[in-house]
Amino acid sequence: MRLLIVEDDTEASGAMVTGLAEAGHDCLCAPDGEAGLAAARGGGFDVMVVDRMMPKLDGVGMVEALRRDGDQTPVLFLSALGEINDRVTGLNAGGDDYLVKPYALAELVARVEALSRRRETGSVQTLLKLGDLEMDLIGREVRRAGRDIDLQPREFQLLEFLMRHGGQSVTRTMLLEGVWNYHFDPQTNVIDVHISRLRAKIDKGFDKAMLQTVRGAGYRLEA
Amino acid sequence: MRLPRLFRTTPFRLTLLFLALFAASASAFLAYIYVATAGEVSNRADARVAREFQSLEAVYARGGFPALNQEVIERTTSDRPLLYLLMSKTGAPISGSIARSPIPNFGGTRDWASFTLTEVEVDGSLVKRPARGLEERLSGGEILFVGADVSESEAYVNKILRALWGAGALIVVLGLAGGVLVSRNVSRNIAGLTGVIDQARSGDLAARAPVRGTGDEYDELAAGLNDMLGRLERSIAGMRHAGDAIAHDLRSPLTRLRARLEAAMIEADAGRSDAKLALHQALEDADGVLRTFTAVLAIARLEAATDAPSQAVFDPGELARDVTELYEPLCEDKGLAFEAEIALGLRLKGSREIIAQALANLLDNAVKYTPAGGAIMLRVRRRSSGEIEFSVTDTGPGIGPDDRDRVVERFVRLENSRNAPGVGLGLSLVAAVARAHRGRLELDEGPGSIDGGGPGLRAALVFPAGA
Repeated sequence: MRLLIVEDDTEASGAMVTGLAEAGHDCLCAPDGEAGLAAARGGGFDVMVVDRMMPKLDGVGMVEALRRDGDQTPVLFLSALGEINDRVTGLNAGGDDYLVKPYALAELVARVEALSRRRETGSVQTLLKLGDLEMDLIGREVRRAGRDIDLQPREFQLLEFLMRHGGQSVTRTMLLEGVWNYHFDPQTNVIDVHISRLRAKIDKGFDKAMLQTVRGAGYRLEA
Repeated sequence: MRLPRLFRTTPFRLTLLFLALFAASASAFLAYIYVATAGEVSNRADARVAREFQSLEAVYARGGFPALNQEVIERTTSDRPLLYLLMSKTGAPISGSIARSPIPNFGGTRDWASFTLTEVEVDGSLVKRPARGLEERLSGGEILFVGADVSESEAYVNKILRALWGAGALIVVLGLAGGVLVSRNVSRNIAGLTGVIDQARSGDLAARAPVRGTGDEYDELAAGLNDMLGRLERSIAGMRHAGDAIAHDLRSPLTRLRARLEAAMIEADAGRSDAKLALHQALEDADGVLRTFTAVLAIARLEAATDAPSQAVFDPGELARDVTELYEPLCEDKGLAFEAEIALGLRLKGSREIIAQALANLLDNAVKYTPAGGAIMLRVRRRSSGEIEFSVTDTGPGIGPDDRDRVVERFVRLENSRNAPGVGLGLSLVAAVARAHRGRLELDEGPGSIDGGGPGLRAALVFPAGA
């Protein structure tokens, strides 16, 4: 993927580039909002990572200008402002996701990849498929290799989230946000327990384990 | 030149203003009394003269000049206290008790006059007395004067006048004295408050204004000031404590992190390292530091805000059900019985997200500290007082009564929980959430020992009715 990173802290952007390049992405850096806007207008980016507080033109101003141009490239906001209100302001300005500093590189990579995927699935899907796992969103049914799997409502949502991000790492925070809609980090391994229950249902009795643990990052559903 | 302090005080100035208004109305009142009394006295004297004049005119009308002359002579010699003078057409005295008319150039037909009567006493001394009389030209052209010695009524009027002046002076003096007393009293009270503010300004936040228990506005002001100072003191103490605590809580993991990196470097130099493991652990240490930092920041923000952000009305039971659904599997996994008793249909105004986080924190704690085989109960209800209560009860070691206040402070973790994960900010954060919603965190004993466990803990997050 081709990524635009707009961040005035060059050390931070350097670390980001390291992490994202390691994951196989091509990055271009801009040191402030104006440079970022100019680069973005050049086009050709899959995802933009934009810091909120920058000299010349701040992140919110830059993304608002882009959206006025009709540019719908997914934007991940980075910010030291983590209050709910700040999050809402960022998302209202046209951001697609919001990551509060400090963050783990794995979290950044996972979220950037999730954003690129979001654009690909423009139409509403009613049937999700990954390997031999099938999910009927209308009939609320899950089948693996033709065998019915019975899931609780929340397990269903959890699996749907993992399916939509099939093949990508998703972090615990992403799951907590995307499935439970909570924006805080629990002190206990609540998510892991839910994952292991889901794993027991979709992987038990099959040769291949689809729901993988990604060390230092989170989980990944693989075909 | 500056006036003495007393005269510069607002109460004194107000006193002067009121005194001026009061003096004006008192003057009007006294003037009225004067007119009503003194005026009446002199009117009466005038009426007496006028009556006498009329009777003499009647004599004149009946018997003409000779009869009048006779009558005047008669009346002059009698004991009547009045003065008479009958004059010719040209004003030459004919008969009467005084030698000359007190009105030297009488040209009209009728005239009142006030004059001074000079009399020779028996011992030869001269006495001057105020007198007043009426002079009129009779139909035949002669002039008749009738007067009266008004010294007595004049003296009476003067007495009234003196009394009124005295009263006026008394009003002014009493008013001033009252003003001085009131302003001294007010100034003393204000000076006490100003003193406290000065003390606070010079850094002594423990200073408190005296509250006398009279419930007046000074007491209210003093109580308000004390409350403000109390909050300020707590928040500054909190900040100071947070600073110390952050230093303490961040220093140990940062030291560990540094040591780990250093050791890894040495190992790598010696070519026998698993640097990756060291780095992984270092990363975990760094995450721990960041978590502590985030929690401290969240608490500080909650405490700095006057109200919790993003307030909305929601069903606390639904929130609890959501959180329950998140935690129930974790409890089962740890071998803990989980029970929920959730009243639905209640309404609570607050920040749903933040309250959910607080509840999650309570459950985190319960799960962390309750040994396997124990039980956790989550309850949401409305108390009879109308307050909304979220409570989490566990069968863990509990918290001793002496420690309950302390654990709510930031960073405090009890000795026996040293080894459990977490940064000891859980309960402080919950308490901060409660305070931001004008509620409170209640800590209590749990249901008692089960299977050799502790007495347990009941942590209740209580929000005020109608919040």
